[in-house]
Amino acid sequence: MSTPDRTAWAYGYAKQSRSDFALYQRLELSGEERCHCLHFLQMACEKIAKAYRFRDTATSEERLTTEHVAFSQFIDSFLASGDMKRRYRDHLEQLLRMRQHARLLAREIEKLAPAVDREGTPVNAEYPWQEGEQIVSPCEYGFPQLELLKGPLGRSFLKLVKVAIDDFEHLRIH
Amino acid sequence: MKTEDDKDGVADRLIDWHFRVEPEITKIYRIFSPEENAPGEPIKLLEVNLATFCTGSVQAFAFGPADDIPYPSVVAEVTPEEMDQILAHKIALPRGWSIEAAKEFTRRNHEGSR
Repeated sequence: MSTPDRTAWAYGYAKQSRSDFALYQRLELSGEERCHCLHFLQMACEKIAKAYRFRDTATSEERLTTEHVAFSQFIDSFLASGDMKRRYRDHLEQLLRMRQHARLLAREIEKLAPAVDREGTPVNAEYPWQEGEQIVSPCEYGFPQLELLKGPLGRSFLKLVKVAIDDFEHLRIH
Repeated sequence: MKTEDDKDGVADRLIDWHFRVEPEITKIYRIFSPEENAPGEPIKLLEVNLATFCTGSVQAFAFGPADDIPYPSVVAEVTPEEMDQILAHKIALPRGWSIEAAKEFTRRNHEGSR
């Protein structure tokens, strides 16, 4: 029996990312609690980042399958790719602005995974955390740090993620 | 007659907010569906934005209801060139959306209507 190669893993991750993103959108539309919506957004983002890194980089498989912080690195590489430069050809200023905000949003989305920086930022989309003397459940929390997603830069950011997912076959980060 | 809290009033507020926070939006089309008044039917906006990037398609994103906007919304942003192609029916809108059944807001006429 042959072992699946990195490309097979990449396409597997991309497919799952597309499904996670579609569910994120359905949850938003049906007005589910923010934590559930954001959980699926976080998973979609993590998986599409891994898909590209499996296919287009030499990052070790072990690292790709265990780490949760692939997304912010990926967004930087994706925005620096030839294709994105072409799409922003006449809007260099916007591309620079997008880079700053995308990095910030990507980092906030990464932190929704409970395994990322639990000590520094316990807020996450899955498990309760302690805040002073209180225990906070994600389903009761509004995630104000991600309100930016609803603004124009947030929408451009989501468009970026969606393009990365939809055009995975044709786009490259290196 | 619309009030601030009914769907039309909320849609107006959302359009107003989008014009205010994004100076590069030149036009917003509010799309109406035949089931516009059905429960859960989102406010649907197609925005022409000079600052967005081109994808050759219409990517619409859903946002859940919140305190200030108590209806779900679906928002798509396109470049002016993509909008021309939509009007020429060369780029398809999301399923159920029709530009013929849309109301157009420009920055000027929206500011004038408030």
